[in-house]
Amino acid sequence: MSTACGRNKNAAKEVVETAKLSCEAVFFWKNYMSENKIVTLAEDAPLILDGGASLSKFKTAYTTYGTLNEKKNNAILVCHALTGDQFVASDHPITKKSGWWSMVVGPNKSIDTNKFFVICPNVIGGCMGSTGPKEINPESKKEFATDFPVVTIADMVRAQKLLIDYLKIEKIFCVTGGSMGGMLVLEWLSKFPEMVHSAIPIATATNHSAQNIALNELARQSIMADPNWQSGNYYHTDKKPLKGLSVARMAAHISYLSKEALQSKFGRNLQDKNSLDYSFDADFQIESYLRHQGFTFVDRFDANSYLYITRAMDYFDVSSTHNGSLVEAFKNTKSKILCVSFTSDWLYPTSENKKIVKVFNSLGLNVSFIEIETDGGHDSFLLEEPKFFEAIKGFVNSTYENL
Amino acid sequence: MSLINEKKDFGIIANLIPSNASVIDVGCNDGSLLEYLKKHKNIDGRGMEIDQKKVQLCLAKGISVIEGDADKDLYDYPDKIFDYSILTYTLQATKRPKTVMQQLVRISKKAIISFPNFGHWKIGASLLLNRKMPVSEKLSYSWHETPNLHFCTINDFIDLCDEINITIEKSGNLSNKNLEKFHGKNFMDSYFNEVGLFLVSKD
Repeated sequence: MSTACGRNKNAAKEVVETAKLSCEAVFFWKNYMSENKIVTLAEDAPLILDGGASLSKFKTAYTTYGTLNEKKNNAILVCHALTGDQFVASDHPITKKSGWWSMVVGPNKSIDTNKFFVICPNVIGGCMGSTGPKEINPESKKEFATDFPVVTIADMVRAQKLLIDYLKIEKIFCVTGGSMGGMLVLEWLSKFPEMVHSAIPIATATNHSAQNIALNELARQSIMADPNWQSGNYYHTDKKPLKGLSVARMAAHISYLSKEALQSKFGRNLQDKNSLDYSFDADFQIESYLRHQGFTFVDRFDANSYLYITRAMDYFDVSSTHNGSLVEAFKNTKSKILCVSFTSDWLYPTSENKKIVKVFNSLGLNVSFIEIETDGGHDSFLLEEPKFFEAIKGFVNSTYENL
Repeated sequence: MSLINEKKDFGIIANLIPSNASVIDVGCNDGSLLEYLKKHKNIDGRGMEIDQKKVQLCLAKGISVIEGDADKDLYDYPDKIFDYSILTYTLQATKRPKTVMQQLVRISKKAIISFPNFGHWKIGASLLLNRKMPVSEKLSYSWHETPNLHFCTINDFIDLCDEINITIEKSGNLSNKNLEKFHGKNFMDSYFNEVGLFLVSKD
């Protein structure tokens, strides 16, 4: 009897222990994995946009990872690029692929979520839950489509600032992002310098060059040339501008890669065949690869969002509201900064990133610069680049230790 | 080029720099000197380093560092943005030492420059007796693999300062604690100092 009782006791204890363990596991898992959150911002006063229009009660979808500490000095804001979204370190709900920066953000990664509280919002104009052309216009009760106001990089930053206010964070420990994300970082440094302790703009520029604009225009025209685009009003029809969006993505994708990487990966190799077809099928592997990139992209991205976000990038010029002076644009910046470029990036080349460094140098700022040697092209900031990861980790950790 | 990684040398350089000065160390290696100066003189330091591995070490220490080349990237700084620039044991590895020196005194109020003195008696003796390029603790590379492009003697350096109107404020030997001004082209100075150390400026 007593033995049985003891066994029962033990069993009960075991159950409790197991429950405890699984609680801890769940807690750990929850701590790491972020749930997508959506918040309505600008409820009291509308957000006035650069173009003159305004947005009130707009939505921002975002994810967070890790825990905000008591001092609220461990927040890292990650800004995504053109076709990125808030799923920086968690699986994408549509593609089921791991987050776009899951190699950088996570427990014991360069941006260690055991230590830092990482916030990643989807930009306004985007299509993953933040207010954008495919969301419902509260006034017309229909999708905004092209009635959505043109937004700028500065507007996106103003919207992000409202999110940071909502999270009751007065000073962000570090703002980082690559490509368009880097533009958002620069805009943060210019617009809200007192809120940024440190920053890592990666593979970016202070404005878009004619070549950058040209490539974006090519993408936009291919979307708008698709008869299924229907002047943007395709949401309730069974025809979507998938071909146009797909071609836009193909063109953009070429600009993200280097000639060397394309050559070494694909060369003139044929796709599943031994000889040329003398047709317009995808004979070459590179053709097949690009087509794949194009048609998988349309599953997760809205064509109108692509128009709006590329427009924002083209309009970006951080000096435009400072009489064209970059020194003026950053004159109140006191942040510690690390600029990163990649040798084979021809879209936002080292020379453009060095321009940023030069401005920060002339202001006597605490700026570091590193150029990572790689043939990965512009996309390198999303790829396995150990030296890049090491630089981010070194900068972020040492800056945090010296807080 | 590990010569400068001696705390004694750091101390001599630190003695030349007032507290809270802004300092750029060109060719800053792993950032040890900047770290030392931060600790002892509370300087506001920046580094420039061509070797990426060392850039990474600086980043991990929290030192602001530019991956860059003294021959090319000093142009990016405005005039007199720093109180002090430091170029330790790097001058001889630059492509255009004269231009680098001109840039240093342009971007900073004062420049501290040190270099291995090719006029040291041991080097002369080695050339004279062995008829071979000298290899020593302080000149540790064989002629065919050395990164050093422009060796000079203390007297050569003084001549160059004259030529480009750079004022020598202090000079001495890094390997001992005496930092007296060299008296012109003193024969013995160039003979017995393994390393030349100069504090220079140009208005």
